[in-house]
Amino acid sequence: MGEVIVITSGKGGVGKTTTTANLGTGLASMGHQVVLIDADIGLRNLDVLLGLENRIVYDLTDVIDGKCRLRQALIKDKRYEGLYLLPAAQTKDKTAVNPDQMKQLCEDLLKEFEYVLIDCPAGIEQGFRNAVAGAQKAIVVTTPEMSAVRDADRVIGLLEASELRKPALIINRLRPKMVRHGDMMSMEDIIDILAIELLGIIPEDEMVVISTNKGETVLSDERAKSGQAFRNIVRRLKGENVPLMELDGDGLLTRLRRFIGLK
Amino acid sequence: MAFIEGFGSRIVEYIFLSLIWGEIFLQFIDQGNLIDDNTILIRRTLRSGQKVNFSGNVVILGDVNPGAEVKAFGHVIVFGSLRGMVHAGADGDEQAVVIAFRLQPTQLRIANHITRPPEDGSAAPDQPEIARIKDNVVTIDTFQSGSERQIP
Repeated sequence: MGEVIVITSGKGGVGKTTTTANLGTGLASMGHQVVLIDADIGLRNLDVLLGLENRIVYDLTDVIDGKCRLRQALIKDKRYEGLYLLPAAQTKDKTAVNPDQMKQLCEDLLKEFEYVLIDCPAGIEQGFRNAVAGAQKAIVVTTPEMSAVRDADRVIGLLEASELRKPALIINRLRPKMVRHGDMMSMEDIIDILAIELLGIIPEDEMVVISTNKGETVLSDERAKSGQAFRNIVRRLKGENVPLMELDGDGLLTRLRRFIGLK
Repeated sequence: MAFIEGFGSRIVEYIFLSLIWGEIFLQFIDQGNLIDDNTILIRRTLRSGQKVNFSGNVVILGDVNPGAEVKAFGHVIVFGSLRGMVHAGADGDEQAVVIAFRLQPTQLRIANHITRPPEDGSAAPDQPEIARIKDNVVTIDTFQSGSERQIP
């Protein structure tokens, strides 16, 4: 039996779409059948991140309106076998869909896929309600900023009210150096307020920008730290017990230096 | 009547305090008339955007996060970190108090007095504190259970 997971945050720009794309490619690379739904109707991005923009013929609203069959709207990924995208409409808005329709859509997709990942739009209005309607599990993405954490807290409250009891947390764009100097919220600060299970921490990484521009996901980059972080999260999603990676360790030398008190 | 907004009613459990509680609680009861029948217990954390309004005392087993609001005609006691907005004695009772394990509210109101924490960002408290009106000023002291009769 498959799983429907919604990736949400409240605040915009914290990395929901990037996370969705990476988790999707990660699960697909492990041989799972995965479909990504872009629920951000009117402001679609997920197709761009995956480099599938020019292959869109039908979209989510076409499926819901019965203008095409579900299969016709699904776009197969270029690189990963078993990864599909259901793109959002760009010329409509969030009111084009309602929560019941989304629920039905998720049920239909579950018949064919092991994982259905929903990229939730920013905000807590109808777009959010649509995105969470069919989900069984939620992942909340936040960055180490007060405003993002505040919004994440709000969203967790709303998720709990809609029966998505135990959301998991991903902290994105953490800068270990700034945390060390006390200039940025630490993992502990965030967990202290949000008090939910931590799924993983992704360090700030230029490689994310580079791979996004190429229409690729950073997860497939063996050298990127953020890619490693995403790979670990995928394994945790599958139930494996993977320890948090060492973000601070810029290698043995730095640790040694710190040990003898040079830094 | 309690008006609890922002989350499903099934999640909230509130029972009258006379039913259960631990040692600290019994001390409170011994010390004065803090606890009466008109009290609700909320056994969860209040998150941003969630709000509790009650015409008596409110006791919260959990945190009150920034962006959450608690408004009570009586006392407010938080067994956790209080980081949100709190209003005790909301119908004008100047005897009302606010007690929290970690008292770090965004804004603290008692009756008609409105206060906010000092701007200098002084260190977070590491022990329970009590806020109440003394000589017409909202004062915050370390809460010492049992050592003196603190509850009006």
